[in-house]
Amino acid sequence: MHSPMEQFEIKRLFNLHIGSLDASYTNSALWMTIAVICAFFVFVVGMQKKALVPGRLQSMAELGYEFVAGMVRDNVGSAGKKYFPFVLTLFVFILFCNLLGLVPYAFTPTSHIIVTFAMAAAVFIGVTVIGFVRHGAHFLSLFVPKGVPFVLLLLLVPIEIISYFVRPFSLSIRLFANMLAGHTMLKVFGGFVVMLGIIGGWAPLAFIVVFTGLELLIAFLQAYVFAILTCLYLNDAIHLHH
Amino acid sequence: MRKPVYSVLAAALVAGASGAAQASAGGMPQLNFHDFAPQIVWLVITFVVLYLVMSKLAVPAISDTLEKRQAKIQGDLDAAEKASEDTRALVAAYEKRLADAREQARRLQRERNEADSAAATARLTELADKLNGRIDEAEKRIAGQRAQVLEGLEDMAHDIAAEVYGKLAGQPADAGALKAKIAAAKGGQ
Repeated sequence: MHSPMEQFEIKRLFNLHIGSLDASYTNSALWMTIAVICAFFVFVVGMQKKALVPGRLQSMAELGYEFVAGMVRDNVGSAGKKYFPFVLTLFVFILFCNLLGLVPYAFTPTSHIIVTFAMAAAVFIGVTVIGFVRHGAHFLSLFVPKGVPFVLLLLLVPIEIISYFVRPFSLSIRLFANMLAGHTMLKVFGGFVVMLGIIGGWAPLAFIVVFTGLELLIAFLQAYVFAILTCLYLNDAIHLHH
Repeated sequence: MRKPVYSVLAAALVAGASGAAQASAGGMPQLNFHDFAPQIVWLVITFVVLYLVMSKLAVPAISDTLEKRQAKIQGDLDAAEKASEDTRALVAAYEKRLADAREQARRLQRERNEADSAAATARLTELADKLNGRIDEAEKRIAGQRAQVLEGLEDMAHDIAAEVYGKLAGQPADAGALKAKIAAAKGGQ
C-alpha cells in the first residue's frame, strides 16, 4: 500500500541543469504544460471561429472571460483593466491545474506550497510595486485607518502591517492546503476501498464519488478565491481604501 | 528576487515541520526543497507562456467578438426600432388618407345633394311658371270667349227683343231705343 503522500512526489522526467540552477522537467512541469495546452485549446482554438452565435467551446471561453472581467470590473473598477489579462491568466492557470489534478494518475502542481507561494509572492510584490508607483510614499497610508484616535493607531498600525505581510502566506496556503487535503482524503478513502474489499468497500467508494464532486467545486472555488483576492489587493493598491 | 524568498520560506517550513515530516513514512514531498527550483522554473515558464497566449491571442479575440456581437445586437435593435417607427408613420399616413377620403366623400355627397335639390327646385319653378303661363293663357281665352258669348248674347237679346216687340206692337221697333233699353237692363243686372 502506497502512502497517501506518494501522489505528491516530484519525479524528474528530464534532468536539466543550467549552471547551478536545477531546471529539470518534472511531472509537475508536465501537468502545468498540459494545463497551458488545455487553456490554449479552450481560449484560442475555441475562439478561432469568432462566431456571433458561439458554439460550446467558444461559450466556455467567453464565459471564463466575462466571469473574470466582471470580477475585475466590480472589485477594482476601470483602473483594473490593465491587469485583467494577468488576473485571467492566474484564474485560468490555477483552475486548469486544479481540475486536471482530479484526473486519475494526474499530478496537481497547485498541491505544492512552493508553486502557490511563488504565485502569491508574485501577486504580493506586484501589488506592492503598483501601490508605490501610483501613490509614492502616500501608499503607506494604507496601514493607517482613517478616523481612529492616536492611541488606538499605536495598536492598529502594527496589526495592519502584519496583516498586509501575511497576505502572501494566507493566499498560498489556502490553495495549497485545499488541494493537499482533498487529494490526500481521496487517496485515504481509496485505500479503505481496497482494505474493506468487495464486501465493505462500497461505502468508501460511494463517499469517493460524492467527494470527487465536492473536489470539483473546490477546484473552481479556490481558483476563484485566488483571483478575487488578487483583485481586492489590486484595489487596495490602486484606490488606497479598505 | 524569488530565490531569497523561497529559501527563507523553505527554511521556515522545514524548521516547523521537520519533526512531523521525519515521523511520517516518506515525509511531505512538498517540503523537499531540492524540488523547489525546477517547479519554480517551470511555473514561471508555463505561466509566462499562458500570459502571452491570453493577452496576445485570447483576450483580443474574445473582446473583439463580444464587441462585435454587442454592436450587431445594438444595430439590430436600432433597425427594429426604425422599422417600427416607419410602420407607425405609415399607419398614421394611411389613417390620415382614409380620413381625408371619408371627408371628401361626405363633402361630395353633400354637394351632390345640394345640387340635386337646387335642380329639382329649378325644374319645379320652371314647371310652375309654364303652368301659370298656360293658366293665364287659358283664362285669357276663357275671358275672350266669354266676352264673345256675351256679345253674341246681346245681339241675340236684341234680335229677340226686336222680334218680340214686332209681334206685340205690330210694328218694327226703333233700333236705337231698343238698344238703349237693353243696355239699361244689362246695366241694371
